[in-house]
Amino acid sequence: MTEDWLLKVDDLGVQFHSPRGTSQAVDGVSFTMKPHETLALVGETGCGKSVTARSILRLVAQPPGEYSSGSVQLRNDDGSVTDILSAPERVVRNIRGNRVSMIFQDPGKALNPALTVGRQLAEVFGEHRLGMVLEKAGLPTSRPGGTLVKIAQQRAGWLSVRLFQLFRRDAARALKKAMDDEVASALADTGIANPRKIMGSYPHELSGGMKQRVMIAQALACDPDLLVADEPTTALDVTIQARILRLIHDLQQRRGTAILYITHDLSLVKEFADRVAVMYAGRIVEMGPSDQVLKSPQHPYTQGLLAAIPRADTPRGELEAIAGTVPQLVDAPPQCHFASRCAFAAQACHGHIPQPTVVSEGRLVSCFRFSRAEELDVSAEEMPQPAEAIGGGRR
Amino acid sequence: MQVRDYLIRRLVLLPFIMLGVSVIVFTLTRFTGSPVGIYATPNMTPDEVAALEARYLLDQPIPVQYAAWLGGLLRGDLGWSGVSVAPVTEVIGVKMAATLELAVAAGLIAILAGIALGTIAGVRRNQGPDHAARLFSILGASTPTFWFGLLLLVPFYLWLDWFPLGRSTDAVFASIEHPTGLYTIDALLAGNIVAFGDALRHLILPAVVLGFGAMAIIVRMMRSSMVEAMSEEYVDAARAKGLPEGVVIRRHARRNAFVPTTTVIGLSFGFLLQGSVAVELIFRWPGLGQWVTSAILSGDQATIMAYVLITAAIFMIVNLAVDIAYAYLDRRVVLGG
Amino acid sequence: MSTIETEATAPESAGSVRWARRREVIAEVLRNPLTVVGFVIIAAFLLMALFAPLLTEPNQPDPYQSPRDWANIDSPPGEAGHVLGTDSQGGDVLYGVIWGSRLSLQLSLTVVLTTVVIGTIVGSIAAMRGGRLDNLLMRIVDVFLAIPELIFALAIAAVLGPSFRNIILALAAVFWVKYARIIRGEIIRIKQSEYVAAARVVGDSTWNIFRKDVFPNSVTPMVVQATLDMGNVVLIGATLSFIGLAQAGLTEWGAMVSAGQSGLLAGEWWVSTFAGLAIVLWALAFNLVGDGLRDVLDPKTEGR
Repeated sequence: MTEDWLLKVDDLGVQFHSPRGTSQAVDGVSFTMKPHETLALVGETGCGKSVTARSILRLVAQPPGEYSSGSVQLRNDDGSVTDILSAPERVVRNIRGNRVSMIFQDPGKALNPALTVGRQLAEVFGEHRLGMVLEKAGLPTSRPGGTLVKIAQQRAGWLSVRLFQLFRRDAARALKKAMDDEVASALADTGIANPRKIMGSYPHELSGGMKQRVMIAQALACDPDLLVADEPTTALDVTIQARILRLIHDLQQRRGTAILYITHDLSLVKEFADRVAVMYAGRIVEMGPSDQVLKSPQHPYTQGLLAAIPRADTPRGELEAIAGTVPQLVDAPPQCHFASRCAFAAQACHGHIPQPTVVSEGRLVSCFRFSRAEELDVSAEEMPQPAEAIGGGRR
Repeated sequence: MQVRDYLIRRLVLLPFIMLGVSVIVFTLTRFTGSPVGIYATPNMTPDEVAALEARYLLDQPIPVQYAAWLGGLLRGDLGWSGVSVAPVTEVIGVKMAATLELAVAAGLIAILAGIALGTIAGVRRNQGPDHAARLFSILGASTPTFWFGLLLLVPFYLWLDWFPLGRSTDAVFASIEHPTGLYTIDALLAGNIVAFGDALRHLILPAVVLGFGAMAIIVRMMRSSMVEAMSEEYVDAARAKGLPEGVVIRRHARRNAFVPTTTVIGLSFGFLLQGSVAVELIFRWPGLGQWVTSAILSGDQATIMAYVLITAAIFMIVNLAVDIAYAYLDRRVVLGG
Repeated sequence: MSTIETEATAPESAGSVRWARRREVIAEVLRNPLTVVGFVIIAAFLLMALFAPLLTEPNQPDPYQSPRDWANIDSPPGEAGHVLGTDSQGGDVLYGVIWGSRLSLQLSLTVVLTTVVIGTIVGSIAAMRGGRLDNLLMRIVDVFLAIPELIFALAIAAVLGPSFRNIILALAAVFWVKYARIIRGEIIRIKQSEYVAAARVVGDSTWNIFRKDVFPNSVTPMVVQATLDMGNVVLIGATLSFIGLAQAGLTEWGAMVSAGQSGLLAGEWWVSTFAGLAIVLWALAFNLVGDGLRDVLDPKTEGR
């Protein structure tokens, strides 16, 4: 692969430990994202897609979580590479909200109810754009850790803030104005008509759509290279969903941000994603350009998933559900986790873990129907029926 | 808007509950002894006492007596305090100021220490600091205040002589005005640093002893609401912004965890009021508690009853204030749904 | 939770489900080492109270007064045959600690049992009847809650006169309100839940609903509170007798701390220290067990 990548997730494994045992929530997930690209990570609830998303910012709580394998590499502007999973805390903090940022599923829960939205946005600028804000306010930026810097970062105590306001009234006013301008312009970018008024509001005073706009403004405040959007519209009214997605898309076009969508909504994939990766039980089972995957899915699970969503041309009553349920991942055996629900499953599927196989240009499928018996060192009878024989695609 | 209705209801109920408390106190006075004692001064002749009885309708049926007694109460007539050799209303203000100063100081210690310990315990859940904080808080709830006070007296008063007994040194007391009756505040108002130091030296040890038990309640509540707050999505969102962990804990988690903790502050104030009885006894603190214990030992009922009434009133007002504070802090959460 | 259906079709199996659940709860409670420590301390106190006459020769005529060894007053622990020393009246401290456990048991059991019964009755009547009666009873409860427990008990005991029996009476008069409130709240909560609505649809009588569905489900918070109160009652009772509301010379721990107070400042630390330690251990044990029970039975209130 050429050196034209932004993010490389390689063999990522995340485990959760509990008294009931260890569950492998993410098991050997690998994918690469190019700059400006949109990748959709699709799967059912609990398939590990959210954990994968959080791992990109090293946000999985440890304990109970643990990164058991792999790396999450971010390519810097100068060509060097940072492994987010092993980098020091300070380096990771500088990436979070700055080069990689995240939009959460429920803006009602992801905004702190006790702080005004303006203050929450200002935190991002105080953390990552401190110099710029101080410069715009016409204040010196020379002393890191000084009172001025602490106040700009909103880390000063109540008393020093009051004293600052009292003795350096002009500086306090200039600082507040510069910060407010930044926050207001970030809010205005997301199509909020009256940013000055919204800034002073508490989250509960805003509608769901408005809150998600605030989250987007916060995530894009520092022009990140990558935006991780974890089901950004699931918690919103259907009428607003399309508008929010359109907004994210427009901002992406304007700023050239790469986006990783975490979703279970295949219609979103069709409209906005360049590529799609389908996850099942902690593993990526199929990946490829979204139009191709949607048109001719190769993995039995993807086929089932697509058959289960209603389409305009589906005859009444022919919607199919996938038989069976997602297996428990606590101390799971090494096998294809979909085998128990798969119509094609053979003996080999129950004893081996399928590896991603390139089936055509840019398309990967993890299924033994695309492998040969010799690769697994098993006899031909134990293998499932090869995919080519059926002809692939949707039935 | 539910919150406001609730608070208005509480406010309306307050006088009725105080009325109920007065009924209980009145009933208690009728258990034993001569009720006229509440109004009589020791140097009265039998004739004068009889006249008093007639005057206060003590020959009348109980409801009439109660009405008359309540009337006196409302006019500020709480009877004669035998132990103070003065009308109750004359001495109660000074005693109340002493107890309030002690209880508020102890409350501040309990709240500050309780929130600090509860935060650490909640953040480091099921790790060393958490176990230590829980053990500390459970010890606080299990240690009798009077015994803990005695235990601290031995090293800090007897051996080291760091903290004196009583409330102030006589000479220092006489050196400044006492407009509020709270000696630390009075000293600050007078701008007298020596008097302030003296007041503080007397205050610290009893306040620490008294605050220890109340702290237990606050640690427990703070810990569990901190555990809850740390699992909220906005904490992860704050981390995703690149904020340092300390800021995430203080500004995002602790700020929210503090809101439910306010509810137990009213409760712990009750703990402070009842604990003050023993603490004042041990540290010779001339407040309501010491006053009531000497009243109990000399059978001075008027003082005991006045004490119950006044503590109930303080307790209820503090609880109402805490409820209002909670509703104010919580309005975002409650009204936000 | 057993549903109406299973109870109606197979009462035995519902019963065994309940038993299995109970065994599970006990196993989980005992998994917490601190809770086990609490149980061990409680067991030790119970044995001490039970076998007090065997451990020490009971004093005649009143075993709750320490025997006086006038030849050895204020003797330190381990001397003159007094393992924990004697007080200023020659009273044996060990004797006091042992017989004090009987008084503490008597105090806490009497107060907790009577207040649980009274509280349950008042709270249940209020919740099941509702309306004006509920309102009246709850306002009475409000009035009681307006006075801090110890201060209320102090006033009652002071009016009744100094004796241990009056301390018990005073505490019993004060402690029932909490239980009335807990059980009323629980009953109202459960009454609104679906399975009671289901029973009502089926046509069960009010009493049957109460007995079968409401009461068993509201027991949990009562058990936790009662356990904690076994310790609290002794703490407050000891405070009252420390102040001087028990008979002089009683082998009650609070009274003993008070008796040793002057000695403590003269360097004779043992009387107050051992008596106080007994109170702390007693309260600690019930607090540990109560907390452990709460963690298991009601995980919502304590974030695990």
